[in-house]
Amino acid sequence: MILRFIENIGNRTISSISSVFEALHFTTLCIIHMLNPRSYNPAMRMVLIKQIYFTAVGIIVPFIIMAFLFGSVIIGVVISLATEYSLQDKIGSIIITFVMDEFAPFFTALLISLRSGTAINTEIAVMSVNRELNTLKEYDIDIIDYLFLPRIISGIISVTSLSILFTLIMLSSGYLFTLFYMNMDFHTYKFLLISAIEIKDIVILLLKSIAFGFVTMLIPIYSGLKTGNSYTAIPISVLNGMVKLFIALFFIEVLSLLLQSL
Amino acid sequence: MYENISLIKEVKENLSRDKAEEVAAEYLHKVALSHIGLLRVSQCTAREIFYTMFIRALMSKKNSILIVLPYSLIKNLTKIDTLIKNIEILNDKKKNILLIDTVTNENRYKGYSCHIIK
Repeated sequence: MILRFIENIGNRTISSISSVFEALHFTTLCIIHMLNPRSYNPAMRMVLIKQIYFTAVGIIVPFIIMAFLFGSVIIGVVISLATEYSLQDKIGSIIITFVMDEFAPFFTALLISLRSGTAINTEIAVMSVNRELNTLKEYDIDIIDYLFLPRIISGIISVTSLSILFTLIMLSSGYLFTLFYMNMDFHTYKFLLISAIEIKDIVILLLKSIAFGFVTMLIPIYSGLKTGNSYTAIPISVLNGMVKLFIALFFIEVLSLLLQSL
Repeated sequence: MYENISLIKEVKENLSRDKAEEVAAEYLHKVALSHIGLLRVSQCTAREIFYTMFIRALMSKKNSILIVLPYSLIKNLTKIDTLIKNIEILNDKKKNILLIDTVTNENRYKGYSCHIIK
């Protein structure tokens, strides 16, 4: 009984470690392919354009509306709290840190995960079940180059560009709020932001967006690839993929907070 | 279907999309299927899908193409002769084309221009 229990723990440990190594191997492979100019063939470029369209352009109108609504409310709360605690002179740096370093990239990554992450996980899972991936392999078509790389790159480009857009919208709605709530004119608001912004904030925004964009696509792809042979395995694959993706997003967020606090 | 056929040329020979689709169009034209170029798989008949798959197989670097149970692939196929003729028209690279079928279908191949190996 005890022996079986120990064996069970051993098996689970080995399988967990091997699956982590397998995932890391897949990640490394994708990065190597990303750095190889030969991966960028005409077919891949066409898929990349389509993916950027579906991921970033297709979402733009609801994204702007959502960014404006959520942005206004949240920035309003931040500004009113800062006023309540007599931190008016720090409002510029509070807004910049909150919007650029934290909220914009994280919120964008969440939106893209919910919209495109699930779609890509399902797409790859269906292709895997239908053995379409095997057909591509039979024709010597590298599935990393043709299927995965365009999705990963589109994820990076989309999350980064939408994060920048989100930041701009949030900062604009921040101006509207300061105008009506604090009677602040545009030049004062602009001066507050410009004096508060640092290169560090731009670097954090870009690095976080790139990291978020990478995992937002990589994890659903990997999860879809690991789908079993039946259609009933598809929802399980999407479910597992999304859980892993959200854990990864939170992990990146916590890691960035830790690094910033150093 | 253009996209379906041209993919291999684009990936393997780095051919631009337009040029790869031109090649695909040429092949489809040879078997009078130019009209399916812009259609999706769900809009095509079994015969049209079969020729698309065959042209795609011709694009690969492999020397032999196996066609397993053609009568099952194309449900309403009555005469194998038209199929063999079209395969010969398309097979400009002179690849080995092997049709694999069951003995029960043997009579359907007799008298036509292909070698039967048991």
